Amino acid sequence: MIPCTSPSSTDEKIISVRDLKYVYDNKVQALQGITLDIRKGEYLALVGGNGSGKTTLAKHFNGLLRPTGGTVAVHGRPAAECTVAGLARIVGYAFQNPDHQLFCPTVEEEVAFGPRNIGYDEKEVAVKAERAIEAMGIRHLKGRAPLSLPLGERRRVSIASVIAMDPEVIILDEPTTGLDAEEIKDLMSSVDRLNREGKTIILITHDMKLVAQHARRVVVLSKGMVSLDSDPRGAFSDLDLLRESNLLPPPVTILAHRLSDCGIPKDILSPEELVVRILLIGGGAA
Amino acid sequence: MTGFVDLYTEVDTFLHRMDPRVKIIAVVLLSLLGFVLSSLLSLLVLLAFMFILLFLARATLSKTMFALKFVLRIMVLIMVLWPLFDPSGKPELASLGPVKITEPAIIRGVTSAVRVGCLATVWYILLFTTSQRDLVRGLVKLGLRFDFGLTIAISLRFFPTFGSMLESIKDAQRARGLELERGNVLKRARNYVAVLVPTIVSALRAADTLSLALQSRAYGARADRTYLREISMRGADVLALAIVIGLLVVPSMAKYMFQVPI
Repeated sequence: MIPCTSPSSTDEKIISVRDLKYVYDNKVQALQGITLDIRKGEYLALVGGNGSGKTTLAKHFNGLLRPTGGTVAVHGRPAAECTVAGLARIVGYAFQNPDHQLFCPTVEEEVAFGPRNIGYDEKEVAVKAERAIEAMGIRHLKGRAPLSLPLGERRRVSIASVIAMDPEVIILDEPTTGLDAEEIKDLMSSVDRLNREGKTIILITHDMKLVAQHARRVVVLSKGMVSLDSDPRGAFSDLDLLRESNLLPPPVTILAHRLSDCGIPKDILSPEELVVRILLIGGGAA
Repeated sequence: MTGFVDLYTEVDTFLHRMDPRVKIIAVVLLSLLGFVLSSLLSLLVLLAFMFILLFLARATLSKTMFALKFVLRIMVLIMVLWPLFDPSGKPELASLGPVKITEPAIIRGVTSAVRVGCLATVWYILLFTTSQRDLVRGLVKLGLRFDFGLTIAISLRFFPTFGSMLESIKDAQRARGLELERGNVLKRARNYVAVLVPTIVSALRAADTLSLALQSRAYGARADRTYLREISMRGADVLALAIVIGLLVVPSMAKYMFQVPI
């Protein structure tokens, strides 16, 4: 699979983070000075080991957490001045566990809950809910009870319930945990489509294969700091740095590293690319 | 991060070392004493005694305040409401229509408030000085069925877990534009449906998994249980129990056999 080609990001900054620090009540310093800009249309993967601060950072983007140092601005306005409900129009956050979001008797009502909360009138709510249901491919589930669906479908419903608010930025926290290969493929192709339509995607994940196949920018967090900010090719060529951050590149990239003596470049992201490279070398030898 | 505080503080005092069974019995007996005593003075003495024990248990100030905050509110409420609804007795201090404020009613209000303070404090001492495991172990040794004890232990164990789950669910719904504290009482109650349903569903899912986990570790395979840690009564425990029984029996006899007004 080749990384999706979609309209490249513009220069318009949506989220600017400056020297962000965050200390939890229990004195754990989760973020120790993060500076980062997220532009419209980006497809960004936020990666790092457990406890590296990924979720803590993302929760600042929609105001769920307030900085204990530094600033987070959304569209130039300090996030600390806005309510979470106000920011929900701009930054949608789909939580890791769909069971923490679902509560309505039907999928249709579930998806309409968000847009209704942020004050759209009933006609707009219906349009936006319909569009979100379409985008996540869950039309056939409209009348079903969300809580009785299997995990893969619950995840889709919970993501639909966030994108129904029509936010510019969509944060997906570990969207693929517990899903099988087919469900991951379906879900990610929906996410890719949203990005092509201009949505900014922030993908929080441990799955480097997912990052290699979908993201165009990788931000590696380690102990509450940004240890690397690059495109996936750049990120996966530095094995030592990834290891320090408790990460491993996708198997195909590791294989490429092992084969680098044979003339294979180290920045391979997909099996297809590796095959092409091997064929090229084979062709050259023949 | 969560609103839940485990009151148990791990320090080494004679109250911490005491056999949990003795502590549970003592707390029940001292609660009874709170009902036997009826004069303000003797209840104040009992309250003072409780606070000395609390001090000896080396309860931290922050936990003490956390625990007493609730009790103090109820005590104030009793002191205010009692005189308003009890018009009996003389002298009358003030009156407004059918509402009469009398001196004995004020004293009765204060007395009841102090009694509530005593009853709460004595239970707090138990929770401050007994770990949840010991508490359950004590109850089981006192004759509670083991599976009930286990149920209590598990519920206590899951309090903080559900606390953090509740926070996460609140965050998840706030991210969907839910403003919990907005609107009138009815609207706010409805807002909480969005938090309660996921909480209950997640709790049930967790309980289901937990019961499978218990069974897969052969829970209930043996009818006669053995215990890793046996609790035993020592001399000090017997002495403490004797003192507490005396504390209940002597005032009871004085009051009911010799009509001493205490």
